[in-house]
Amino acid sequence: MTEAVIETDGLTKQYGSTVAVDDLDLTVTDDEIYGFLGPNGAGKSTTIGLLMDYVRPTAGTVRVLGADPQADVVEIHDRLGILPDRYSLYDGHTARQHLALVSNTKRASDSPEQLLDRVGLGDVIDQDIATYSQGMEQRLALAMALVGDPDLLILDEPFTGLDPHGVRTVREIVHEENERGAAVFFSSHVLGQVELVCDRVGILHRGQIVAEGTVDDLRTSADVDADASVEEIFVSITDEAVTADDRAVEGER
Amino acid sequence: MRWSPLARKEARTVAKSKGVWLLATLLVLWSYRPSYVGWDGLGANITAGYVQLAGTGLLPLGVLLLSYQSVVGERTSGSVKFIVGLPLTRTEILLGKIVGRTAGIAGPVSVSFLVLAGIGLVNHGLFDPLLFLGVVLVTLAYIGVLVSVAVSISAVAKRTVTAAGAVFGVVFLPFLVFWSRISTVIYSQVTGRPVNPFDPPASGPLFVLHRLSPSGAYNVVSNWVLGVGNSASTYSSVLSELKPTISTNALVVEATFQPGTVPIYLHESVGLLILLAWLVVPFGLARVVFSRRDLV
Repeated sequence: MTEAVIETDGLTKQYGSTVAVDDLDLTVTDDEIYGFLGPNGAGKSTTIGLLMDYVRPTAGTVRVLGADPQADVVEIHDRLGILPDRYSLYDGHTARQHLALVSNTKRASDSPEQLLDRVGLGDVIDQDIATYSQGMEQRLALAMALVGDPDLLILDEPFTGLDPHGVRTVREIVHEENERGAAVFFSSHVLGQVELVCDRVGILHRGQIVAEGTVDDLRTSADVDADASVEEIFVSITDEAVTADDRAVEGER
Repeated sequence: MRWSPLARKEARTVAKSKGVWLLATLLVLWSYRPSYVGWDGLGANITAGYVQLAGTGLLPLGVLLLSYQSVVGERTSGSVKFIVGLPLTRTEILLGKIVGRTAGIAGPVSVSFLVLAGIGLVNHGLFDPLLFLGVVLVTLAYIGVLVSVAVSISAVAKRTVTAAGAVFGVVFLPFLVFWSRISTVIYSQVTGRPVNPFDPPASGPLFVLHRLSPSGAYNVVSNWVLGVGNSASTYSSVLSELKPTISTNALVVEATFQPGTVPIYLHESVGLLILLAWLVVPFGLARVVFSRRDLV
């Protein structure tokens, strides 16, 4: 029996007259790896911001791990790991100190060495992160998300700044975490990886889900060849959505 | 407490910054100001008076500068996504920031007080250690008040420059530099009576107005500990004012009010309440705004 770890209903976020997330209905269950795809500016990070209570909805409801992201923030964040997008780490602090901040707050007992080992950052644990490359920062941020064996992992563009080894590491960790029993929700536009990782994907376009299902489902429903890559599917679906939007605009005239 | 790891991180951030150690060094140079009037009034306890001088001007400026970016800076850089992603309420985040920053500043500043104690010991002889400790504690509490004000502004400001402008233009200049003048002007405007600060009227409202600023309240409380007199001015001005032949622009209760006519609200302990209000009220307002808003 699966349960929803993420459930949004009519979720909407407006910034002035711009609608970043538009009447979004999204369900992610506790056993799946869900890939949240979409072109730049589609509203992926805003959606994650709403799940994380970084920002508050204009309308609609969100439930994360069965609770309210705002009112039950402590309970939810205790059971959740986040790798945000466009973050910055704390210069002057070591990887060990970064991990300690998370694990002490969560009262988790993870060994920082083991966590860094998992993300492939073994021997720099006591170095100031100011000396880190972008890929190393990304690995540390991923390790911070893994603290406390979360029930839900939210990864916003986890492949950012990673070399092919790093990309593979992320993929392996996502599978390991899922096998351990965690649900994984990740956004990406690195489409080649998506098919290798995700049980199910949703394509977000202008704040709305325009297609959802397994990659095979999408391949069938989209106007593409049977051996089309995820990229081709993605382009086909989002282009179609654009055309549909334009037609709707024409129709209003 | 759930926010104590965050507070530890904040304390480390500040204590490792060059700024706080620069402040600690400058504080020693700024505060060591021997004076005849001070020696005359306090003897060797003038060393405790130096600590009070440390708390006027330079220390508030330094504390505000070390704290105004604490929240808005993290929002701008994106690191706020990590701390808001922790199992903490927004109020707990602000508490961790305030407590941690206060500790991170109080440590290095305490070192400069130790240095002042050493210099005082050598130059003026043995002072009353409890009295010295008393002024140090009042000053450390004052640091907490100023951090709370600056973090509150930082939590409300949308941009770093706004926060900088606000701590300087809304807190530092009016309340910490020009308050005695501003309060006198306010009093004259409201009552229609001009005030000559060298010969002030025995007016409770005028005197209380003077001590409503954080610096005024800090001086009242530290003067109380030093035992020099009831005033929102520094101890040396108070000692000068209380000499029969000298008149200064310091408002000193004992120099103006007849014994037995002093309003109860001018008691020095009210200074503690004023400091408490500066600690709690801006934080309470900021908490509401910070808890309701979008952070990225």
